[in-house]
Amino acid sequence: MTPLFPTADLRTTTRASLRLVATRRWPLLGAALSFLCVGACALVPPWMLGRIVDIVTEGGSSITRPIVAIVLAAVGSALFTALSVALLARAAEPAVAELREEVLDRALHVEASALEASGTGDLLARVGDDARLVADSVRDFVPSLINSVVLICFTLGGLAALDWRLALAGLLAAPFYARGLWWYLPRSGPRYREERIAQGQRAQAMVGALNGAETVRALGLQEQQLERVDQRSGRARDITLGVFVLLTKFFAAANRAEVVGLCAVLGTGFWLVHEGQVTVGAVTAAALYFHRLFDPVSALLFVFDKLQSAGASLARLVGLAETAPAAPAVPPEQHGALELRGISHAYVAGRPVLQPTDLRVAPGERVAVVGATGAGKSTLGRIAAGLLPPTTGQAFLAGHSYEDLGRRGVRSRVVMVSQEGHVFAGTVLENLTLGRPDASLPEVEAALETVGLKAWLDTLPDRLDTVVGDGGMTLTPARAQQLALARVELLAPWFVVLDEATAEAGSAGARDLDAAATAVTQGRGALVIAHRLSQSAQADRVVVMADGAVVETGTHEELAAAGGRYAEFWAAWTGA
Amino acid sequence: MSGFLFLLSLWQVCETLVPVAIGLVIDKAVATSDLDALLWSGVGICVLFLVLSCSYRFGARLGFAAVQWETHRLRLEITARSLDPGGVVDAARTGETLSLATSDTDNVGFALRSLGYSLSAVASLAISAVVLLRIDIALGLTVLFGVPLVLVALQALTPVIARRTTRQEQAVAAASGVATDLVRGIRVVQGLSAEDEASTRYRRTSRHAWVAGVRNAEAFGAMVAVTSLAGGLFLALVALLAGNLALEGRITIGELVVVVGLSTYLTGPIQVIGAISAQVAQALASAQRIVDHLQSERRVATGEAQAHGALTWRCTTPELQSEPGELLGIVVADAGRADALIARLAEGDPDILAGGVPLDRLSHEARRDLLVVNPHRVDLFEGTLAEAISPPGGSSAEALSAALEASAATDVVALSPDGLAQRVHPDGATHSGGQRQRIGLARALLADPPLLVLHEPTSAVDAVTEHRIAEGLRAHRHARGSDRTTWLVTTSPALLAVADRVVLVDAEGTVATGTHHELAEHPTYREAVLR
Repeated sequence: MTPLFPTADLRTTTRASLRLVATRRWPLLGAALSFLCVGACALVPPWMLGRIVDIVTEGGSSITRPIVAIVLAAVGSALFTALSVALLARAAEPAVAELREEVLDRALHVEASALEASGTGDLLARVGDDARLVADSVRDFVPSLINSVVLICFTLGGLAALDWRLALAGLLAAPFYARGLWWYLPRSGPRYREERIAQGQRAQAMVGALNGAETVRALGLQEQQLERVDQRSGRARDITLGVFVLLTKFFAAANRAEVVGLCAVLGTGFWLVHEGQVTVGAVTAAALYFHRLFDPVSALLFVFDKLQSAGASLARLVGLAETAPAAPAVPPEQHGALELRGISHAYVAGRPVLQPTDLRVAPGERVAVVGATGAGKSTLGRIAAGLLPPTTGQAFLAGHSYEDLGRRGVRSRVVMVSQEGHVFAGTVLENLTLGRPDASLPEVEAALETVGLKAWLDTLPDRLDTVVGDGGMTLTPARAQQLALARVELLAPWFVVLDEATAEAGSAGARDLDAAATAVTQGRGALVIAHRLSQSAQADRVVVMADGAVVETGTHEELAAAGGRYAEFWAAWTGA
Repeated sequence: MSGFLFLLSLWQVCETLVPVAIGLVIDKAVATSDLDALLWSGVGICVLFLVLSCSYRFGARLGFAAVQWETHRLRLEITARSLDPGGVVDAARTGETLSLATSDTDNVGFALRSLGYSLSAVASLAISAVVLLRIDIALGLTVLFGVPLVLVALQALTPVIARRTTRQEQAVAAASGVATDLVRGIRVVQGLSAEDEASTRYRRTSRHAWVAGVRNAEAFGAMVAVTSLAGGLFLALVALLAGNLALEGRITIGELVVVVGLSTYLTGPIQVIGAISAQVAQALASAQRIVDHLQSERRVATGEAQAHGALTWRCTTPELQSEPGELLGIVVADAGRADALIARLAEGDPDILAGGVPLDRLSHEARRDLLVVNPHRVDLFEGTLAEAISPPGGSSAEALSAALEASAATDVVALSPDGLAQRVHPDGATHSGGQRQRIGLARALLADPPLLVLHEPTSAVDAVTEHRIAEGLRAHRHARGSDRTTWLVTTSPALLAVADRVVLVDAEGTVATGTHHELAEHPTYREAVLR
């Protein structure tokens, strides 16, 4: 899958993220302060344990004060940890929400032609997986990241406060950590991306098999499909195992850094104590400080790993969110004809599917387009609906060219219903009012009546509040299509383009759909692309297409009697 | 699994020994300024880290691989159950099954791994106890009993918080569901100019998820805080006891360092074990869902009987019968009843007899070899066009082209310069409804079963092409001398015209039989096939 939508570069991503969090300044500041307090509290125990060692070696009598300090630090650390996580969420969660809302908004407004070219896969991956990954990492990894960084800085500071030479000895570990990271990151990054792709392909294979389970059973394709899933899942597993091997090697590098640092601190401590420059307690504290560094450093390295993939997702989200928002719709006010002048189209240069064609649909006129598959009917319909810009020629609505009106200006007056209906997860009412949120209940019921769904509505358990779509009641293709037509009726556009809108009905349902289509196009300009010639028989004018060109035009009666292509279609249709 | 547990336990023991080693070095070398001791300490620490590093590296790999292989196997089993010829009563939606095969199996795998780490953390606790007992009995006992006590307290708390977390996570998942649903229907949204309204609707769900997300984080923060508090207080207690022992001179400075170092280190393993109960609870719920799916009831009754070859097929209600070689048109006046008839054929209704044997008595294999009930909805599987239509064993070039010819799908092949090697996308982005329908028909023809049941196979095809398909179907399956049987459940006059016999079925059952032309005068028939 080639991602056709933009991915942001590092600078844009950083700037956009900062802009998103900047508006939540106070919780962010509070979270930062809390994290600092957590770091400070974490310093207390090793320091106090060092004090205890010194008290013991110096022959002191009471260790109550260091112990109380440790208890207070534990309480403080717990309080500030809870506070920091909660405050960070208050800053980050709304930011993530705002980002994903922007992403979905831009995704929904994406150019129809871009959609035609790339499909919905990339968009789905962004609003789904990428958004989820970013949200999860904000919740799970960012606190751990900040926590680790603060702890490491404070502990190094603590070491330096004990003795600068001890701190320097501890820092000897740094180049070893750096070398590990230097080796690991360039290797793991591509592997993680590969893993994500392989997991996507695994999911695709499973979805394909599961969606087609009925067909798999009917044709006995189980083994074939399972083999594919086995292969894809096996590949994803192998890549995952490969990345893990890298990760364990990387941890081994971290172990090397630990042993170098620890030996350096102890050796330096030995020398400093020998020279009488520091106390044994100070060396104890230093060694404990250094030992305490292991966990946050490991956590940091681990988080680094996760952030790499979350960063990739974030860049994809920002890339989409930063595209320019769609221009507002400027629909024409004065009713007029829909005109196509000399339009042609080629999806692949040199292979035109539509020859230069002229077509005019007057207000209220119903024009049927008939022809064999591959004749260019759907392309004509998409251009008329403003979904596809023609390669040559121009389309006009009431005298304004489509370019001037903008695609949203066109679409507020010209509505297209295609074969592929989608029932949104939600109530019947929500499905219907999607195009017209301000529609009243009587209007909605009237629209259902028009498309012949009134009786069906009365059989539903909760009538308009019945939940349909994914997670609710499943509708037959015919019902879904009637619902789509009811949406159009509510929207009351000037022109309707129906592209095989009644084809998927199966058998007897097709007649209900025909009736619904007729009712919805009543009194409106309509371009009806239909295999079911019952549709063309009712049209004011029939246009017959073959090989990307209009070959016949006339009324149904004229053409049926003319003995040409249409007559042939009509004879075939009526079974004569 | 045992090798993995051994190595991980070894690793944990080494990690535990690091603070012990630090204490030893301070005691024997730093405090005494003994250079030899320091050198030996260096060697010891290096060896300790070598064992630590290697045992983790190989132990973790072993465990990780075991879990990955296991989840892979589970995934396959779950998919296989969904595709089982027996079918599934109350078929779960694809999304749910997919989440069984991904997040639920991952949950189980993750818990298995955590369980391994927890067991090795126990080894770490044990070795600490031994070291501490040797230093001082009272101290050792405090750790031995104190740690489990802290654990029990944490265990009591974490599930409460985890439960709260799960509820919040559902709100977040819901938002993501709304987003994908809207993008799936994006063509509809754009067709209605409803982009802004759709966006507003999503904003509402997203806000809801954000509020839930904040609460989720609060719960998570509280959980982390409680665990860290428990670790901190425990450390203070041990430091108090050990410090006083050192003051009284009953333990050395080095031993004091070992005790406090160990107690600090132990908070890690304590947290690992502390988190396990919530993970196990979650994994158990996932495992239960997987088991329910794997053991779900089969929808299709099945027996042991065998049958093969050309048979007389019969159905008692509605009354239908066909002899080998017959192309039978079945017109069902009501679309819902037609769907029901197709479902009964697919699910092995005992009322349908193959050569006198009720369908539910036949074995899966016999039934698969005898009949194909081609669904009306065409599901294509990704791959090349040739792969998409070939039966599992593959098919010859002649057979392919004959089937494509018969289903009038040759122009689909011609449309792309890649011909039969063109890609077929599962979501149907590349082929129109009419093209998919013809590809599906070619696939059914290539399967070449003794009985082929077709359900409205030409609903998305234009009238002229439909005629070609009718002729092609007749020529492909019912040439002179053929014993193939086809049941065509349709109301298309073009298809019915080529049937040997047409049966008209209404609410009462079979009401008329004859050729398409003979039935043309029957009012119910006219009503049903009228366009």
